[in-house]
Amino acid sequence: MRSRRRGPRAAVLGAALALLGFACAAPSARASDAVTVGMQLEPPVLDPTANPAAAISEALYANLFEGLVQFAADGSVRPCLATSWDISADGLSYTFHLRDGVRFHDGVRFDADTAKYSLERALAPYSRNPQRARISAISAVQALDALTLRLSLRRRSGGLLQSLAWGPFVMVEPRSAATNGTRPIGTGPFRFVDWRRGDALVLERNDDYWGARPRLGRATFKFISDPTAAYAALMAGDVDAFSAYPAPENVAQFAADPRFKVFVGSTEGETVLALNNRRPPLSLLPVRRAIAHALDRRALIDGAMFGYATPIGSHFPPHSPDYIDLTGTYPHDVAQARALLAQAGYPKGFSVTLKLPPPSYARRAGEIVASQLAAVGIRVTIENLEWAQWLDQVFARHDFDMSIVAHVEPMDYDIYARDDYYFGYSNADFKALIAALEDTIDPALRHELLGEIQHKLAEDAVNGFLFQLPRLAVWNAHLHGVGFENPLGTIELARAYDDRPNEAGAAPPKVAAAALGVAWLAAAAALLLFALAARRFGAVALSGRLAVLLLTLAAATVVVFVIVQVVPGDPVRYMLGLQAQPDTVAAMRRVLGLDAAPLERYLNWVGGIVHGDFGLSYTYRVPVSSLIAERLQVSVPLALYALVLAASVAFPVGFAAAAHRGRASDAWLTSLTQLGLAIPNFWLGMLLVMVFAIALHATSAGGFPGWGAGFWAALRALTLPAVALAMPQAAILARVLRGALIDTLHEDYIRTARAKGASERRILWRHALPNALIPVLTILGMQFSFLLAGGVIIENVFFLPGLGRLVFQAIEQRDLIVVQGVVIVLVLAVVSVSFLVDLAYELVDPRLRAQGSAP
Amino acid sequence: MSGKARGGGAAFAAGATITLAYLVIALIACVWTPHDPTAISIADKLQAPSVHHWFGTDQLGRDVLSMIMAGARNTVGVALLSTLIGAAVGIPLGLIAAAERGVVEELIMRANDLTFAFPALLLAILITAALGPGAVNAVIAIGVFNIPVFARVVRGGARNLWTRDYTLAARVAGKGSARISLEHILPNLATLLVVQGTIQFSLGVIAEAGLSYVGLGAQPPSPSWGRMLNEAQSLTALDPALALFPGGAVVLLVLGLNLLGDGLGRGRGL
Repeated sequence: MRSRRRGPRAAVLGAALALLGFACAAPSARASDAVTVGMQLEPPVLDPTANPAAAISEALYANLFEGLVQFAADGSVRPCLATSWDISADGLSYTFHLRDGVRFHDGVRFDADTAKYSLERALAPYSRNPQRARISAISAVQALDALTLRLSLRRRSGGLLQSLAWGPFVMVEPRSAATNGTRPIGTGPFRFVDWRRGDALVLERNDDYWGARPRLGRATFKFISDPTAAYAALMAGDVDAFSAYPAPENVAQFAADPRFKVFVGSTEGETVLALNNRRPPLSLLPVRRAIAHALDRRALIDGAMFGYATPIGSHFPPHSPDYIDLTGTYPHDVAQARALLAQAGYPKGFSVTLKLPPPSYARRAGEIVASQLAAVGIRVTIENLEWAQWLDQVFARHDFDMSIVAHVEPMDYDIYARDDYYFGYSNADFKALIAALEDTIDPALRHELLGEIQHKLAEDAVNGFLFQLPRLAVWNAHLHGVGFENPLGTIELARAYDDRPNEAGAAPPKVAAAALGVAWLAAAAALLLFALAARRFGAVALSGRLAVLLLTLAAATVVVFVIVQVVPGDPVRYMLGLQAQPDTVAAMRRVLGLDAAPLERYLNWVGGIVHGDFGLSYTYRVPVSSLIAERLQVSVPLALYALVLAASVAFPVGFAAAAHRGRASDAWLTSLTQLGLAIPNFWLGMLLVMVFAIALHATSAGGFPGWGAGFWAALRALTLPAVALAMPQAAILARVLRGALIDTLHEDYIRTARAKGASERRILWRHALPNALIPVLTILGMQFSFLLAGGVIIENVFFLPGLGRLVFQAIEQRDLIVVQGVVIVLVLAVVSVSFLVDLAYELVDPRLRAQGSAP
Repeated sequence: MSGKARGGGAAFAAGATITLAYLVIALIACVWTPHDPTAISIADKLQAPSVHHWFGTDQLGRDVLSMIMAGARNTVGVALLSTLIGAAVGIPLGLIAAAERGVVEELIMRANDLTFAFPALLLAILITAALGPGAVNAVIAIGVFNIPVFARVVRGGARNLWTRDYTLAARVAGKGSARISLEHILPNLATLLVVQGTIQFSLGVIAEAGLSYVGLGAQPPSPSWGRMLNEAQSLTALDPALALFPGGAVVLLVLGLNLLGDGLGRGRGL
């Protein structure tokens, strides 16, 4: 009796130990001249001259691209591709002396002609340069000789030199400029290697760099926006540094840990409570002043940023030498706020909506601001929006009352002079100040004007000025020389190095070939199944079923298309960002084919699918099929892995429960499965990460190194997610197996076997199990498709670049064509697997076998 | 088999008690909680459990016990409503399919299969992203996927019952399909439906937790267990207990529902 019980238990225990051992033992390679940096947001394209997203410069400014001049860590302008410059007395002529011996990554020489090309391209009327307006004072660009460039201005422009240091004005060369969005070519110390969409950006050392040779050979930027994933990645060593760490609550812990270094500094991000000055009652100054009095910046910073931010009283960064502390203009005073509201005609307050974009600082601050405003009688309803929706509703259509967002461009106070900006603030005095500033070069005069600008914005309480977004950089203490102090928020790696010695890892085997082999095997198995089915059921019946299959798929495409079209939010707005002009938007819509009628778009799409062409992603401009293929490399192995784990746990458990049915051990095992069913898989994932990755450092906390990094390394990365995914499935499978086994035990042939004197165990093994397997296999097949699609949340917990995360990001970015593609691929998988499983079921079922072939 | 009967009784009792307790708490939370679950008080943040706050406070100083109770109201409500939607639409569909047979049955079953073909969680996310996040839309998104489940279960059971003698007798007596379905078929399916209902309810709880976790469920300031879990994740270094309460709440409710369903099923020999 005892020996029977040991078997299944031992199997489960053994499997668990083996798994743990393998997870700990698998070696991983790490080179000391390679570094991985985490970034919160992924750049939509890689060309800073064509898109305003700050993330592009964050990764590529000074690393891959360089301009005539560059920002130093203190915000001043220093020479880069221009070694010196002269400004004429009247301020209308700038002469730049260019650096000699500079080459682009594709070998083209940098000279005055390329500089002229870059600037003229930015200035052109059709230019997509997001900051074109900043250098619009330039009337002509001349190449006086190979290394001298002259700019002629039509009016004085005090900020021109600073503007030229910005990301959008880096130097590009004519042959490669058009493809810089996907294959950037610059002059910097690093060159482009690869961009795995939604996952990572890889750069390598430029050995022909004109300046000091970088010590790093390779730099990888991983995109992680989730605070918990960021924490886990740093703790487990998957990422060496975070330039803008999204979870301030952990910073103190990292600061106290000798393995890490922390830099708390400033950024150019003024975080404001944006008020729609066009809408009453926010259009009234007393009301806006009341709101200012209602805000308690200290509590806000404490609660939303855990103390890591500096309060601001106007739209200006505290780290700037021209900053004036105006936080006392309207200090926190609830009584005064109420009095002002009553004075303005709102003694009982009023109701507003607060629309919040995704970043954690906005969401957290939003809740606190809502409660602070409620204390003075302003009732706030919070609406959490995705970026695409925020850009559409708040930024483009000005359909909002209040919002919270950080404005990260340097010296962007001039947005308050634009009538069409979403704040809706239009004030002649302020515009005069801005015009005067443009006209002034003398630093002392500029300082005065900047002070007046700050006073004006504070006194008019245009927005609630909350705090300056902090620079929270956390990095491994072995990493040195990264320019985290740069207030631009860029990650400069030119002088970075890691002082750990090299760790050799296992050589990556030929994984691609193996994967291909498996795919062929699967295809062959499916074909065999088809052939057998055709023989059994006849070709007519089989083709009838195939027709039903195709009909289902066709119906599915209609459903998918209709649902996806309902999703609001304009993908073009999301792509072109905050400062796109209406005609640029219209042109892009035409390019993407979004201006065609729905029926036409549907037919184009379905027609393409039949050829295997799922269209072009709006966001990344690459074929959707290649994005999906990339992600399948993670999702399919993960699903298989989870399935294998689930089966290997479920079989012993279900078998044991059935063998000991009605007894205590059955009750225990069944209760265990009950628990397994009840635990949400993402919660289990969280717990597993806390225990195995962070506390024990046994496995990685998430992320996927790619199959190229080695089979075992990749499998190791998939282990925790697979375990989390597998558990509820194992519970279901165990229960189904137990039920199926018990059901079979009532059959006649079992009774016969028992009468013949066979042992209970033998009966279960030889007779019951093969028949019970049939419904179990059906469930297994269904579970595979569920696991493929159901891993969506798990992929977010472990930041795996699978199909689930792809579709999530695509929904956020309103990249509808990707969403359509992924959903239809998953539907195809589910429907095909069910079809094949049904076929197999009917072929294998002994009752049908006995009857012989059906007509 | 006394062990089996005993097990069935214990499961039912435990499950019923737990489920009832949650329902009561959810109802109470509609009118009273120890503190206002949305009251932010930064000065009191991250306190350990105490007499004043039985489960402690979260990172914004809100009382965790009150948030759990209010969250129960939300989760139980969403899961219950979505199950009822599934039943209200799915049961009639299943009855019609079993009664009419032929083309009607084929159509209903094909529509069922089509819905089954869609990855439920993915489409729930898409629907809530499209319609906007919120409890109501979560109900719709989850409810849609309950319909084919009920339809399939009812059709399967009803098909069986249609071949029984008493249904044939009723037919001969001149009763119409609708009356037979309502008077004879449906009552006999009651236990099956209740068991399925508890299953869908528990799945609904997990689905709602998942949707809230990714931000698509009830919106702030309305508390929800899934969102509490999400917020607790990055605070594990500061306060690991924050993740335990909402997670435990989900696990216990689902456990209770599953035990209830199990107990009901075993009691009637299912």
